[in-house]
Amino acid sequence: MGRKILAIFRFLARRAKEERELDRELQYHVDRQTEINRGRGMDPDEARRQAVLSVGGIEPLKEECRDARAGRPVEALLQDVRYGARVLFKNPGFSAAAIVTLALGIGANTAIFSVVYGVLLRPLPYRDGGRLVVLHQQLLQAHIDDMPFSVKELNDYCDRNHTLSGMVEHHTMSFLLIGNDTAERVETAVVSPNFFDVLGVKPLLGRTFVAADDRKDAPAVLILSHKYWQSHQSGDPNIVGKIFKMNNRPHTVLGVLPPIPQYPSEADVYMPTSQCPTRSSAQFIGSRGARMMTVFGRVKNGVSLAKAQADFSVAASQVGNAYPNDYPPKYGYTLKVAPLETELTQRGRAAFLVLLAGAGFVLLIACANVANLLLARVLKLEREFAVRAALGASRGRLIRQLLTESVMLSLAGGSLGLLLAPAALAVLVKFAERFTTRAAEVHIDLPVLLFTMLVSLATGVLFGLAPAASTCQWVSDAFKQAGGRITSSRSRHRLRGILVIAQVAVSFVLLIGAGLMIRSFGKLQQVNPGFRPDHLVTLRYSPGFPPYSMATLPALMDNVLRKIDALGGVESAAIASSFPLNPAGLVSGPQPNEFEIEGHPVPKDEPKPQTALRIVSPAYFDTIRQPLVKGRAFTDHDDEKAVPVAIINQAMARHRWSGADPIGQRIRVGRNEQWFLIVGIVADVKDYGLDRAAADQVYESTKQAGFSNRLVVRTSLDPIAEAPLLRAAFHQIDPHIAVDQVETMERLEYDSMTSPRVMTLLMAIFAGLALLISSSGIAAVMALSVTQRAHELGIRMALGAARGAIIGMVVRQGLVHAFVGTVIGIGGAALLARTLSTMLYDTRPTDLLTFLAVSLLFLTVAAVACFVPARQVTGIDPLDALRQE
Amino acid sequence: MPKNKSDLLQGTLDLLILKTLELQPMHGWGISQRIQQISEDVLQVNQGSLYPALHRLEEQGWISADWKTSENNRQARYYALTGRGRRQLAAEKENWIRLSAAVARIVGA
Repeated sequence: MGRKILAIFRFLARRAKEERELDRELQYHVDRQTEINRGRGMDPDEARRQAVLSVGGIEPLKEECRDARAGRPVEALLQDVRYGARVLFKNPGFSAAAIVTLALGIGANTAIFSVVYGVLLRPLPYRDGGRLVVLHQQLLQAHIDDMPFSVKELNDYCDRNHTLSGMVEHHTMSFLLIGNDTAERVETAVVSPNFFDVLGVKPLLGRTFVAADDRKDAPAVLILSHKYWQSHQSGDPNIVGKIFKMNNRPHTVLGVLPPIPQYPSEADVYMPTSQCPTRSSAQFIGSRGARMMTVFGRVKNGVSLAKAQADFSVAASQVGNAYPNDYPPKYGYTLKVAPLETELTQRGRAAFLVLLAGAGFVLLIACANVANLLLARVLKLEREFAVRAALGASRGRLIRQLLTESVMLSLAGGSLGLLLAPAALAVLVKFAERFTTRAAEVHIDLPVLLFTMLVSLATGVLFGLAPAASTCQWVSDAFKQAGGRITSSRSRHRLRGILVIAQVAVSFVLLIGAGLMIRSFGKLQQVNPGFRPDHLVTLRYSPGFPPYSMATLPALMDNVLRKIDALGGVESAAIASSFPLNPAGLVSGPQPNEFEIEGHPVPKDEPKPQTALRIVSPAYFDTIRQPLVKGRAFTDHDDEKAVPVAIINQAMARHRWSGADPIGQRIRVGRNEQWFLIVGIVADVKDYGLDRAAADQVYESTKQAGFSNRLVVRTSLDPIAEAPLLRAAFHQIDPHIAVDQVETMERLEYDSMTSPRVMTLLMAIFAGLALLISSSGIAAVMALSVTQRAHELGIRMALGAARGAIIGMVVRQGLVHAFVGTVIGIGGAALLARTLSTMLYDTRPTDLLTFLAVSLLFLTVAAVACFVPARQVTGIDPLDALRQE
Repeated sequence: MPKNKSDLLQGTLDLLILKTLELQPMHGWGISQRIQQISEDVLQVNQGSLYPALHRLEEQGWISADWKTSENNRQARYYALTGRGRRQLAAEKENWIRLSAAVARIVGA
């Protein structure tokens, strides 16, 4: 093999010399033969002629000798490339159209594939990341599929583990990082000391934790995430050893992590379990129901996921049987072992695959279009090719030349597409970030480049094959017809027709997809959120514990509300544990809390009903303009000395009281032993996303149920202008209260719709491209057929057919293609739209209006695409046609 | 690796060329004359197929080419057997003898 490649290079390098030598060698032979012939008495000319004849002609012999050489195919390729380049430059319009079409198709595919590869396909950047798993405790009958672990539960499963080579815990806390005159809230992941060893992560700087760091008396230490190190410590290379003041203790930075996707959420810093005050408290450790941890594991080598799952299912039933009070049998308690890889990405998987399919469709349509353009061009080359075939060019050689040309086109398109891809990628990464922390791994790198190259080559061959195949047939025809006009064969007409129909069908499917998304997005935008998002600002404020304590917090909340209310431009302000469209709530959905209605006890071993719980200050409903439907709102008199009261939303009243009046009844929520009297019913609000039905919701008052750390403010000014005033007010109250996540509600509402917006936009772009490409395809085929049939149409006119009738006839033939394609497309779309159904809001995948509108749009565009070229008919002169006869 | 199987005609011409070059390096013209002489004009080598065969054998690495002054004082392209060519010749010779013996047995039977 190596020798052969060397020979090829040698041949290419010495081509000119070899040619000269071949010349001389054959010349020598002919000279010697000529001498002999002359010796036999021939005259000089005849002697030379006979000598040349004896070898069968110099040129054919040379060609045979060249064919014996190794580099021959490469040389032929170079010739084809040179020829192809000449042809492409000679037809700049055709080449540009083809290259731009392909660039759009390939660029879109490159951008989307780089996201799909980075997020779904690339191995996790952990050592042997495919073996990492996340454990989920589940209460199937209570519809809880991801219950956190308590310390006792973790220990139970560590004892019963046979299939994991390591089990580690993880939970998140936020702590205050105290500066001189500032405080900053730091998202902290609290993990087992061997957490990074089990995950197989090597630090970028310094070291990760060792067992000694987790001792009670060990000095407090931190590891920084790559992102936090970059954004908040400006990538300081000497960060290791630096001291941070957190939790009123100095913490020493041990190391910095490499950029890795974090699960279940992104943390700024990591610390070992012994340093978390909650995690290390005896009360937390001793309570089976005190749950907050996520558990990771690494499946042992040689053990399958199914085996690990089976083993932990057995362990779960043992644990469940051992503590029937904690896991009532009817709750359906079990344990699920889920690969980390899928956990990280499953939310975005469907969207990414739909986009990849969309981009693939666009490329297919582009391919069909370029194939049609090439077919049209080949038609003009027929005579040239026939002549070349007659002169001895082999059929394979001619086809190879056509393929070379189409691959050159597709590679040029691919290169241009590669230049376009990064622009699209920026938008896509933002989109992917909403689904997965792996979005940071999206780059155009080697695998993506390989993909682009392969796709370019494949498209080149794909759209080159059609004209090549048809060439095959008429090259043989060319031999049969001695001279004269080569009429284009019926089969090639059919091929072009099929290409157009396929284009139309695929475009139609894309248009339906986009149409459904647009309709769904339109409905989403008309959703009444149940409150007034304008002129609202929200923020999170985080006091430190200490100096604050449960005893001093009520006074702090009073102080905050008093100060904020007094600010200029503030109409009203409220404190709440959360608020509608809170980004955290959009991801997690409502947090379930078990509740009980007084007088309706649930049997002890049965799952209790669940509701979301929000703790709000009295002005909350008024501030966000959530209407009170019945009863009363909270007042300042509902304090710790008064009767505990609750307000529920209409969804809860409907679900739990079904017609009866809940006001005056008492409920208790969560682990609270106290009964709360229901005093009011408020309207439903789309708390967890405009596309989600309102969840059952109980509200309790901050004065009775405790501290909350979100502030919602209604302003009379521009809410963006109000934000700095709010920050300043907190700084005045206490500079060591961290204020962050300052956002206007309108911004949050806009952001909450980012995924459907980007999906809709991308699908609309794909569909627009598809429509453009396929209608230009229809127009091109129409134009060609009019040109080809000019003669026939001219005769028809000479025989008395009206121009209008002829135009009608031509347009009708074009429309048949569009119509057949549309019918096939309707079938395909009806099948494919079902995969979209999870992404649609209040829109059925077979939405009649969408199908009708898209069909109408498509057929209109197709009619225009047919009509414009058909008008060329008016340029046909019947006399010309007659003269040619 | 010497090729043991080649179709009869092409293989035969290859064998004849290799055998002719076994004694001394020779140019194309000389090879054609020599084959004709030794076979007492039984084998007329087709001049048209001799040169492509020489180029193919050179490409295989069985013979090498060099420009030398010929017997009539002109520059000619001389071909010589390489080490690999010698091994190939031995293999083809054996193959030919086996084949011709078998054919002779059948024809003579």
